[in-house]
Amino acid sequence: MGAPPSHRELFLGMQQVALSSFGGGLSAWSERIVVEERRWLNQAEFLTGLTVARLFPGPNQVNMAVYIGSRFHGLSGALIAIAGLLLIPFSLLLLLGLAYYQLHMLPAVDRLLAGVITASAGMAISMGFKLVGAYSRDPMALLLAAVSFLAMTVFHVRLIPLVLVLGPLAMAWYWPRQR
Amino acid sequence: MSAFLPLPVLASAAAHCQPVSLGDWRNLLAVIWDFLSLSLFSLGGGNTLLSEYHQMAVDQYCWLNSRQFADLYAIAEAAPGPSSMLVGLLGMGAAIREGPLWGLVSGVGAEVAILLPSTVVMVVASISWNRWRDSAWRVAFERGLGPITLGILFAVGLKILRISDHDTPAYAVSAVVCVLMLRSRIPPLWFMAVAALLGGLGLVNR
Repeated sequence: MGAPPSHRELFLGMQQVALSSFGGGLSAWSERIVVEERRWLNQAEFLTGLTVARLFPGPNQVNMAVYIGSRFHGLSGALIAIAGLLLIPFSLLLLLGLAYYQLHMLPAVDRLLAGVITASAGMAISMGFKLVGAYSRDPMALLLAAVSFLAMTVFHVRLIPLVLVLGPLAMAWYWPRQR
Repeated sequence: MSAFLPLPVLASAAAHCQPVSLGDWRNLLAVIWDFLSLSLFSLGGGNTLLSEYHQMAVDQYCWLNSRQFADLYAIAEAAPGPSSMLVGLLGMGAAIREGPLWGLVSGVGAEVAILLPSTVVMVVASISWNRWRDSAWRVAFERGLGPITLGILFAVGLKILRISDHDTPAYAVSAVVCVLMLRSRIPPLWFMAVAALLGGLGLVNR
């Protein structure tokens, strides 16, 4: 293990993660830089971080940055790590946004985007299929998934009431029983 | 500044309802509160929030129409970095009528609001993880919320599909991309590039 990183090093390290992953594979780059190159975490700690990041609300990569930053410098470390991770991609995205709001009436831009959205819709619909296998042997899980799906699509229940009602019921059902 | 206005398509987006202006501080607070409270419900990496974002930006506050929402979702997916930065683009849409500077300020504000609560929770979770990694609460939360997240992700996927695709070739492209996402290791950027080409050539329309 190396020395604990300073705020500056945290910022630069997360920025390196963000820049390396232009084109995809953020999680893999994050592991290479944080574990192999800079040795801030060992392999096991990194995997624990991924588990925590996926479990808690928030974008996974941002949560991972929070895990890394807060480990060394608490809240300020978390904020500096997020800043390092997001500064360049978010600035770029805002520039794209300005360009979009300025140019989206151009027929050429509209046609290109009409194409791109078909791909992004395919990616959106794949998110559920990616996870469904993990629950295929658990009828209660499939029932809960079906109820939440129908509640949103057919009955137009909003997300927050849905989770607040169904969440506690599901937690009660899955509450670990004493053996 | 004024060259940005008026945007004809944005104006037509408002035909069915009046876009809510953030100039009034009560509206501003309401919007900030919406993002802050949604933050803690961004399960499954944040994708569960997509249909809430659509509801807010299109139906409730009328900043965008469905078509623009689909465009922005695609841009956020294609651009480097976490795709949840879409919130920045939606925030920008909320204030772009007042000019690009307000668009930028609003975009940054929306992103900060959506990230702040989940970040604070995550800091606490990271620091105290060892204390309750084996607690019953953690186990029940993980097992119970997983299936609900799954159902929501399907609902969100269907919603995005509905607002994006309007003809058979478009649905076909989405289906192929979905299968390849699951069955191949091709980087998603390639799907975007090929689909953009199909769109540019006029093979998929909306």
